[in-house]
Amino acid sequence: MQQRMTTHKENPVDSAVPVYRAHARQSRKQRSRGSGVLLLLAAPGIAWFLIFAYAPMAGLIVAFKNFDVSKGIFNSPWSGLDNFKYFIESGDAPAIVLNTLVLNVLFLAATLGAGLALAIMLNELRARVFKKFMQSAIFFPYFVSPIVISIILQVILAGAGGHGGAVNDALGLFSLPEVSWYTEPGPWPWILTIVKVWQLGGYMSVIFLAAITSIPEDVYEAAMLDGATRARMALSITMPLLKPTAAILIVLGVGRIFYGDFGTIFAIIGDNGTLFSTTDVIDTYVFRSLRTIGDFGTTAAIGLFQSVVGFILVTAAVLIQRRYSKESSIL
Amino acid sequence: MIPNSSVSRRGFLGLAGGLGVAAALAGCGTSGGSSSGGAVTGTSVAVLPSTAPATWNAVLAKVNGKLKGDLGFELDAQFINWSNYQQQSLLKFTAGEKFDSALQALWLNMAQLQQSGSLADLTNEVGKYKNLSATLPKKLLEANSWDGKLWGIPQVNSAARVQHFVIRQDLADSLGFSTITDFEQLERFFYAVKQKNDGTVAYGAASNSGYLHALPVPTGMFNAASWENPDTIARAFSGKGMFFLLAKDAAKTGSTAPKAFWDDEGVVDALHRIRKYYNDGIINADALNTDAATLKSQWTAGKYAAGWAMTDGTSSNSLSTLQKAVPSAALANIMPLTGGLSAKPNQTFQADNMVVVNSKGGHLDRSLQLQDWLSIKENHDLITYGIEGTDWEPAEGNKFKPLNDYAFPGYALSWRTSLERKSLSISPTEEKIFDWAQNFDNFTLDPLASFIPDTTPVKQQVAAMSNVITQFANPLFYGVVDVDDQLDKLKKAADGAGVAKLQEEMEKQANAHVKKQS
Repeated sequence: MQQRMTTHKENPVDSAVPVYRAHARQSRKQRSRGSGVLLLLAAPGIAWFLIFAYAPMAGLIVAFKNFDVSKGIFNSPWSGLDNFKYFIESGDAPAIVLNTLVLNVLFLAATLGAGLALAIMLNELRARVFKKFMQSAIFFPYFVSPIVISIILQVILAGAGGHGGAVNDALGLFSLPEVSWYTEPGPWPWILTIVKVWQLGGYMSVIFLAAITSIPEDVYEAAMLDGATRARMALSITMPLLKPTAAILIVLGVGRIFYGDFGTIFAIIGDNGTLFSTTDVIDTYVFRSLRTIGDFGTTAAIGLFQSVVGFILVTAAVLIQRRYSKESSIL
Repeated sequence: MIPNSSVSRRGFLGLAGGLGVAAALAGCGTSGGSSSGGAVTGTSVAVLPSTAPATWNAVLAKVNGKLKGDLGFELDAQFINWSNYQQQSLLKFTAGEKFDSALQALWLNMAQLQQSGSLADLTNEVGKYKNLSATLPKKLLEANSWDGKLWGIPQVNSAARVQHFVIRQDLADSLGFSTITDFEQLERFFYAVKQKNDGTVAYGAASNSGYLHALPVPTGMFNAASWENPDTIARAFSGKGMFFLLAKDAAKTGSTAPKAFWDDEGVVDALHRIRKYYNDGIINADALNTDAATLKSQWTAGKYAAGWAMTDGTSSNSLSTLQKAVPSAALANIMPLTGGLSAKPNQTFQADNMVVVNSKGGHLDRSLQLQDWLSIKENHDLITYGIEGTDWEPAEGNKFKPLNDYAFPGYALSWRTSLERKSLSISPTEEKIFDWAQNFDNFTLDPLASFIPDTTPVKQQVAAMSNVITQFANPLFYGVVDVDDQLDKLKKAADGAGVAKLQEEMEKQANAHVKKQS
């Protein structure tokens, strides 16, 4: 230390500058080589996004065009905001936007809650084989096709030919009247939520279980020494420590809150207009419009509107999260 | 140690921009070829709905062997499932894909494609192909020309199309209805089936076709007035959606005065009848959610006593499968017109299905050569029924006996009235109706037969009304909601969607058409 100080004292500037410059040159070179390697590594990913995610966005201009099949997307005449007017002025927009938000908030809250509860319950199971079996069993619905779900639901709610069904049979046992489920829009947000919980509860629980395994055993041991019950440990240790995982899932969920889970909803509801008042979401509306009128301009305009509002929502969610829970913010 | 790895922002933007420009340029490039003269070679791509038949590969190999030898090119049939056909076939035109022909129809996107110049004009082309011309009657070509221009080859196996009923004759016999001649008798048969209470539903309906129950086109399945006077054909801008009924005396007065379908007494009466049927369990309560394929499987499992039929001679084809579930099953077709088969229902004689030629990426001559080749009996039989001896064998009276499940969608490529064979399983009643439908003289030419409304001026209203119909009118067509209450909701929603403008435009165009015809 003394030696070094002496040296510095002897020639404080002259000796330090060349060393700094050499380091700077070397470091810039290393940095640029490193950047090049990383850029090369990232190139396939960047190319994938550019080709499959960004380049197709050029087609979004059809939302501002009076689409003409023979002229194609790029040569059709411009129409300003006319295509947006169709959706806004049709009178359908408020109900559809509201349905999309309500259903997705229900789906998000219910699947997260169910996933968390299932994960905590699975974590309490001590018999390893039984735990694995249960985990697989509750994960299985995630792989079931929406079409199969719609058929199962029809059997449960309506039976063959539209009369009966397991639920109505159960109502009959209590001398309650049969309900024509497929013509009553009121219960459908809840029916769809139950379907989503059945479908995604197991999937969410696996994510939470993975997070639970990263909680140090010491914390539980300390709680046990303090005489905490399993329930207290779940409430006071497991749940608070799962907050960052839940926060990430919420932000990801909010990002998709304007996407109405087309596959499941369309497979179950189809063109059943009686249920539209509570189940028609932007995606099903766009698909139906495209199928029935074949006009890409108006449907692309609705799709663009959906993306822009979705982007605003996800940005807002991240900003709110940063403000109130900075430590669990992902962006 | 990981070096500082910040990627130059300018470099990244440059790379992104470059790729974006390249992609955009690729998108702006030539989107399709055009018809060319000279020798016809290569492959004629035909876009068809439904799925490839069971033994399609063997049949196609034989077709292509013969086609290559005869004309020098081959056929490539691209099948698209019916559930996606409308969007995907439209996308193929939009994307400028290279294909010669496709199935199109007014109830698909044919008007839109014609109005945008995507279809080749065939008006002066058909006459150049002698086999094709020989199988297309002059009346058929006239009826399928729009303002004198032909945009597709009509694919029909009969002159007229009148929807009617196919019923389980074995059930009818057991319930004392051996002969049903009018709508009232048919209704009594429905209620007799219900009273028998053995789980059989009297009538099976599928989703997406509910308007056929109430609207006269010229018959509405449950529109009693239309069975009495089949002289009105409801019109819609894109073949489906919001229907209007035009004045019957328009040709005389020059005024078509279109009225919304809910202002027609016969239609409203039909809606009330359908509601009653729904409440009484006469029609399947899950019709709004039952697709055509599910309904077909339920029909062949013996779940229904009656269903929808068309005058194309194909409803008896389900008998062999049905008899596997119900060995004693027998079928009959019922056309409950008050005046019987001499009632002369109105017809536009427009084909439900047309083969159109892609004007951008298709080869006009090759498409029509294929149509011409398929107009030769031997070639028609090969593609329509499969390989003789393997898939079918001929039977007496220009009939055929299917030997397996080979089912080619002939209506999308090869239907020719004069070449069609009847199935050996065709019921006597269906055969009688099918024969009746072959003759143009058994029908009345609708005064607005060649009227095809132009959707361009009311594109947005057509789109908006299409959604309104799905949401508010479809439930009425299946009887699942109270009629009066739902009609109020429907009218209110229709007002918001611009039905008045649609009505006004329909009147303007229809009046102009009538004036031009007179």
